[in-house]
Amino acid sequence: MVISKVRPRSEIIIGLGVALLLVLTLFAVIAGATGFTPKEDIRPLAKFYLYYAINWYEKKFWAASPEAVNSMVWDYRGYDTLYETSVFFLAIIGAIAVFRIPGVKDVFSKGILSGRGLSLIVKTITKLVIAFVLIVSIAIAVHGNLTPGGGFQAGSAISIATLLAIAAFSRIFLEERKITTKLMLPIRVLGVLGIGLLALGPALIALSGIMSFVIQNQPKPWADWGFIPGVGPFWLSGNQFFYNFFEFVAVGAGFTVIYLIFSIPELIYKRVLKK
Amino acid sequence: MIEATLIAEILLAFSLTLALIFAYLAIRERDLIKAIVFSALQSVAFAYAYYLLFAPDIVLAYIAVGVGIYSILLIYGVSKTERYEEV
Repeated sequence: MVISKVRPRSEIIIGLGVALLLVLTLFAVIAGATGFTPKEDIRPLAKFYLYYAINWYEKKFWAASPEAVNSMVWDYRGYDTLYETSVFFLAIIGAIAVFRIPGVKDVFSKGILSGRGLSLIVKTITKLVIAFVLIVSIAIAVHGNLTPGGGFQAGSAISIATLLAIAAFSRIFLEERKITTKLMLPIRVLGVLGIGLLALGPALIALSGIMSFVIQNQPKPWADWGFIPGVGPFWLSGNQFFYNFFEFVAVGAGFTVIYLIFSIPELIYKRVLKK
Repeated sequence: MIEATLIAEILLAFSLTLALIFAYLAIRERDLIKAIVFSALQSVAFAYAYYLLFAPDIVLAYIAVGVGIYSILLIYGVSKTERYEEV
């Protein structure tokens, strides 16, 4: 058999590039390097972060989290993250307002559009991948205060499961399993409410006379009140575990809403607009 | 034996070059869906560079946003217009 079709140059470049990347990665892993090897002495910047993020000997300003990034995001620089979360919340409300369809519910239940999805091979593989995505994203969320990752990362990862399900099985598959915009909206609100209560909780305590401030996590020299760093074997880093969890819920449901809205066929929009 | 640091630097240079190539291909491609795929591959190359530069937090968000969310937005945009670009 003679393959007469000449492959385009771009495909060859991509193939060679990906192959070379894999070989180099393998080589690097065998040689014992997956990233820049840390120097033996601690750099000044790392020293600063280690001193303030988790310092067992002087807990005056600590965040009780070994993950320096997470302690910045949810403790020292907490206001920034709060505003970011509220901006994200409002942005998705805007998207829903623009793309709302009043009669979308009965359009789907009437069975006008029946999705069959892709082939059996793709469906089987996607089922496995979705299971892995769910497990990994929950792990990223609940380990957010200990290892790299956190609420936003985990939320955007879990929403990929929805995207895969839409691509391989169709939107109807999710509708049948009650994963709808109607369900996701209250879940988002619960997530954002959780973050808001965690942030404003210390301020409510301040009303009762005990010195504390908004988004406080650990006790400070001027505010002698704080969340418990850990319960038994579970290290919660004060409220950072809960922040990560609620952010995970809010972001995951938010992106799921976006995907569900974008997967509505244009046919339905046109039908609704004609009415 | 080559030093581990040197390997990491070579990998960084390689992944960033790969990102540049993918960016060029994404611009040159006439088929817009293919161009989106190139762009997603460029995001993967960038994510690998972030990983090499000790930023695992960014990697986790960047993979999900760069490959998933960004691509779906662009595919949605392309679905509103023509798939093939004519010059």
